[in-house]
Amino acid sequence: MTNENEFTGADILLKALKDQEVDTIFGYPGGAVLPIYDAIFGQNFLKHVLVRQEAGAVHAAEGYARSSGKVGVLLVTSGPGVTNVVTGLTDALMDSIPIVCISGQVPSHLIGTDAFQECDTTGITRPCTKHNYLVKDVSKLSETIHEAFKIASSGRPGPVLIDIPKDVQFAKSKYISKKDISFREHRIKAGSKNVDKIFVEELVNHIKKSERPIFYVGGGCLNSGHQASQELIKLVNKTNIPITTTLHGLGCFPGEDKSSLGMLGMHGNYEANLAMNKCDLMINVGARFDDRVTGRLDAFSPDSIKFHIDIDQSSINKNVKVNFHTNTDITLTLKEINSFIDSNNIDFGDKDYSNWWGQINEWRKKECLHYEQGDEVIKPQHAISRLYELTKQKDTFVTTEVGQHQMWAAQYYKFSKPNRWITSGGLGTMGFGMPAAVGAQMANPDSLVIDIAGEASFLMNIQEIATAVQYKLPIKIFILNNEYMGMVRQWQELLHGSRYSESYVDALPDFKKLAESFNAVGVRAKNVSELDDTINEMISIDRPVIADIWVDKKENCFPMIPSGAAHHEMLLSKYDKENPENQEKGKVLV
Amino acid sequence: MSSTSVYPTPINAFKQSKRSVLSVIVDNEPGILARIVGLFSGRGYNIEALNVTVVDVKKNLSRITIETLGEEKVISQIIAQLEKLVPVHSATNLAYLSESYEAEICLVKIEFENEEQDQKILNFADIYRSRTVQKRQNVVVYEISGTSERINKFLDDLDTIGGIKVELVRSGPIGLGI
Ligand SMILES: Cc1ncc(C[n+]2csc(CCOP(=O)(O)OP(=O)(O)O)c2C)c(N)n1
Ligand SMILES: [Mg+2]
Repeated sequence: MTNENEFTGADILLKALKDQEVDTIFGYPGGAVLPIYDAIFGQNFLKHVLVRQEAGAVHAAEGYARSSGKVGVLLVTSGPGVTNVVTGLTDALMDSIPIVCISGQVPSHLIGTDAFQECDTTGITRPCTKHNYLVKDVSKLSETIHEAFKIASSGRPGPVLIDIPKDVQFAKSKYISKKDISFREHRIKAGSKNVDKIFVEELVNHIKKSERPIFYVGGGCLNSGHQASQELIKLVNKTNIPITTTLHGLGCFPGEDKSSLGMLGMHGNYEANLAMNKCDLMINVGARFDDRVTGRLDAFSPDSIKFHIDIDQSSINKNVKVNFHTNTDITLTLKEINSFIDSNNIDFGDKDYSNWWGQINEWRKKECLHYEQGDEVIKPQHAISRLYELTKQKDTFVTTEVGQHQMWAAQYYKFSKPNRWITSGGLGTMGFGMPAAVGAQMANPDSLVIDIAGEASFLMNIQEIATAVQYKLPIKIFILNNEYMGMVRQWQELLHGSRYSESYVDALPDFKKLAESFNAVGVRAKNVSELDDTINEMISIDRPVIADIWVDKKENCFPMIPSGAAHHEMLLSKYDKENPENQEKGKVLV
Repeated sequence: MSSTSVYPTPINAFKQSKRSVLSVIVDNEPGILARIVGLFSGRGYNIEALNVTVVDVKKNLSRITIETLGEEKVISQIIAQLEKLVPVHSATNLAYLSESYEAEICLVKIEFENEEQDQKILNFADIYRSRTVQKRQNVVVYEISGTSERINKFLDDLDTIGGIKVELVRSGPIGLGI
């Protein structure tokens, strides 16, 4: 007997995705998801992007989510399909990216029998997801999917996985739509909607009293939405307080604004790190005092009163003890601060922190990002600077791989809007940038999407060029080719007596020919005179392009706070030597 | 530790320790225990004792009680991490409550060799108001409950009797805020 109101698990999944306004899904088929693929075959609201390896699907979903503010969705089969996404799920967890991963599982009656392509998916992914489910009963499927989307995107966002056994994909049940589901609040953990007025008042009072305040802004500001960034800009303009951002905070505040000190941390700007070290008031907006940012903890900003706005309660007092905190959403809190200042007619006009800015401008004179570009070999810093100059008028999204090129991109490419900069920070996943560019281009078909890459990282997910070619995604892979795992080589030079153990990338492919073999386009710049033309050519081609930019092989990324050192112990160039005691201690750190 | 027990303890001076008892209310669903245990092992925290039971069948709730060691800062972080888990309703450090009660149950099987030992055992059992569950020939099983400290003390006292063989099982502490 068939009932018109009943649908198969596979159809319920599609209905739920439609209900959630999902129009793009990244995936790779296999035995345990064939019923779902069958359902995809017979519809046209959902565009399926066939990746070339499941790792590509998860990073693409991350790139899609980061660049659009929506939840990224992927679909993989059981066993090897899902183990291939473990890195990406961990990456999304560390960087708070909302994604939902649907995985197939062997049929319920085979679970636990070591069946073909069976693995303990919920067990393996439990520590690398915000939450996960094994759906054993098709009647629970609708609400599980809706809850998964809600959890992925609420509070501090993150990855959620739904494992669906094959028999459940065939079994039938009613579909329950999103509007008919009432979520249980304790499971959603959306954070408080009530602004902490005392926090706001204390903060404004401290701003009035302080001599050396600073904003320290992280990825939480991004996740709070575009309005957070608007409120932040208002607040900074009103108060004239300097602002530094983390790697993920780049773009929350215009990088070229006079109040911006740029990025802080291990490869952050000298003025940003010194200001953090010497400030008397630190206002942390959605950053988590990560070790890449704080340097040696016992010397981290010793004289400041610290305020912390973070929706995640576990980020408060985890690494650094703060004096005041609130777990209310950043947009709501910043809005309240702005309106408190306005409604009480608090004028910061006479309090322009001129001594503090004077000091900061002294630090700026160090020109910590200065480099010498000669007439021949391209300096990697110069390559990024030129890329920025030649693309800044366009609607551009930048993804990166991991290594020196990533840090140079963060230092020399300036972002004026949030969600334009997509990089793997917490996990530092090589191979992230190319598939992330595929995702970003899917979400923004008319924009320019560039993956700033290292040749070693690029090789890790190189297969995804085929995806870009198949879906006519004109992404640009801008390789700073130094023939080294440059960041590894740099640490070996600084900490291991220049013993370059296994960090030379031998037997590299010819990237131009490689591009052509994939039916993409390859371009190359071997010296500085070819650089601008190559970049312009790359931009002008409306197809996937690999730009092989030959850069100085021995260049190091400065400034640098070596591991175990403090903010004020930055190295500005290779001529700065590290305190040997720190070096010994720092060697054991990462 | 501010916790007291319905059973009086012979220890007068309460030992100051960095031990905390956490009480966690969760949705009783598959994987919840694994989530909690995984959180502890993954982040390098200790579990000294663990107790899990359904406490509300209708609402499908379980209470998980965890005894752990750590500085206050670490305990606050553990609580914050526990509260991030989706099925967790609440996580409470019983030590932070103005008043809480704690109890543990322990079954002790003792094999003795002579009358004199038996008498001594009985004496201690009496002092601690421990109940005899079983006795046959030279084997006796006692049930003792109260705070963990009280049980520790009872076991310490038994230790002073030479030549007996002890086998035991403990539930780990459970507790409630009042
Ligand atoms: C998957 C993965 N494996 C290893 C590392 C460690 N690692 C960090 S940077 C780096 C070298 C990256 O080389 P390349 O992509 O050429 O970038 P470059 O530093 O030369 O710019 C390595 C091996 C990592 N971050 N990710
Ligand atoms: Mg390289």
